[in-house]
Amino acid sequence: MNILIYGTVNSIIFALVAVGFTLVYGVSRLPNFAHGALYVLVGFLTWSMVNDFKLFYPFAILISLGISSLLGALIYRLVLIRLRGLPTSEIIASFAVGLIILEGLRLQGIGGFKGFIGPFYVLPSFIDAKIKIAGVLIDAQRLIVMLGGLAVVVSIWLFTHHTKTGLSLRAIAQDEQAAMMLGIDSDRAAIISLSIGSALAGLAAVIILPLGNVTAEAGYRILINALAVCIIGGLGSWAGAVLASFVLGFAMIISTALFGSVWESVVLVGAIILILIFKPSGLLGKQKELEERV
Amino acid sequence: MLEIKNLMVFYENAIAINNINMKCEGGKVTGIFGANSAGKSTLMYTISGIILDVKKKEEMKGGERITILGNIIFEGTDITYLKPSERAKKGIILCPERRRIFAESSTLENLKIGAYLATKTQAKKTLEYIYTIFPPLKNLKSREGGFLSGGEQQMLAIGRALMAQPKLLLLDEPLLGLSPMMEGMLARSIHDINLQTGITILISEQYARPILPIVHHGYVLENGGAVLEGSSQELMENPDVKSAYFGL
Repeated sequence: MNILIYGTVNSIIFALVAVGFTLVYGVSRLPNFAHGALYVLVGFLTWSMVNDFKLFYPFAILISLGISSLLGALIYRLVLIRLRGLPTSEIIASFAVGLIILEGLRLQGIGGFKGFIGPFYVLPSFIDAKIKIAGVLIDAQRLIVMLGGLAVVVSIWLFTHHTKTGLSLRAIAQDEQAAMMLGIDSDRAAIISLSIGSALAGLAAVIILPLGNVTAEAGYRILINALAVCIIGGLGSWAGAVLASFVLGFAMIISTALFGSVWESVVLVGAIILILIFKPSGLLGKQKELEERV
Repeated sequence: MLEIKNLMVFYENAIAINNINMKCEGGKVTGIFGANSAGKSTLMYTISGIILDVKKKEEMKGGERITILGNIIFEGTDITYLKPSERAKKGIILCPERRRIFAESSTLENLKIGAYLATKTQAKKTLEYIYTIFPPLKNLKSREGGFLSGGEQQMLAIGRALMAQPKLLLLDEPLLGLSPMMEGMLARSIHDINLQTGITILISEQYARPILPIVHHGYVLENGGAVLEGSSQELMENPDVKSAYFGL
């Protein structure tokens, strides 16, 4: 029972982290390697607004989500737009942006800025309580993670299937030129997807971070987690990403329960290697049977 | 409505479109006929602007150099260097060669995506109209685009283009790979669309026989240049056209 509940929570954490990344990649084939950095940045922004500027907590969250989605749009508008169609350069450039953010957060001494170093940065839980489910003690924040993850997945599904903008994003994802012929602008779609993706990274941060403390190093781990989920689920496949986060989430919890927590990262990397050997397109990667019929 | 003046398109040093001058009159159906590699699709991509996207991507990769010379004038404004999405907003909608249906979306979703530029009432009206000219689509609403047959895909592709509220509809080889029965049916539907909605249509095709009767004016392309032009009747009676495109 422990494994079931904590496995689900862990899986949803994976899904939350990966869903923004896979959305951006799925729509515009842009690997946003600044994803982890945006995640951490939102954590620190929220912390600093709550503690330094004494803002109301939900208000601080909203502002930092706004900032991260704006940043996502700016990353595309200023950097990635010049590199469209050069995948390696896109990775390097977005990773560089991520590095600037992450290392910038640790810079000391400019304008009295102390740098976010050390374990002192903790976001408050939304509700401080513990609840018993089927004999397992679980804190309220983990339940919020579960509900939040579910809400994010459902709302993304609704957005991409029932709104004009969402449908246009899916059109661009499937056939960019055919979408252009119908009047959909690919640059606009990329900006929208990146700002939604970055806001989702931020949302994941504010939901997940109260479970632990905020450190800049977490940015790299988050990026690797998101990448792992996307590779295993099939790059750009949204259903695949959700499936893969459950596979990984449970695999990690089970391996921890059986062999100890040292094996966590082995499971993560091992899963990537296994999937690349046996099904390189990922669990739900592009299906061959949908190839064009003539 | 559409006027093309001295248009030339080069891929590196190879000439794809050689000094074409042509006109599409409003409300009429204009045909472009030619064999493989005559430049039909390049012409369609140039009119719809997709070639600018290809050009940009090639430049990024340091690949083929694409040069476009001449002018394309649509309703009095020069659109030669306008982005494809802007051209679509002006009403130039391309229904591309090999259909390019969104394979993972359902039929209905394909149509909804097509309605990106339409208002809600326009979309609703057009959807009903599409179901009346292509009744088979009505029963395939939830079928994924990739699992449709060629003829159904073509109907969907034309329907999707209609949803975008075109003023000038570009049909690039709409009969490619279809059965003779389907060819006749689609040619009739295209004719009906033109008559009932008044949309100007520019249609390119290799195999002229089913299409020639429905065009008002036609051009014959060879090696990127327009070698012949005339009304439907004139083209049908031309001995060269007869031997080359009718197999008579």
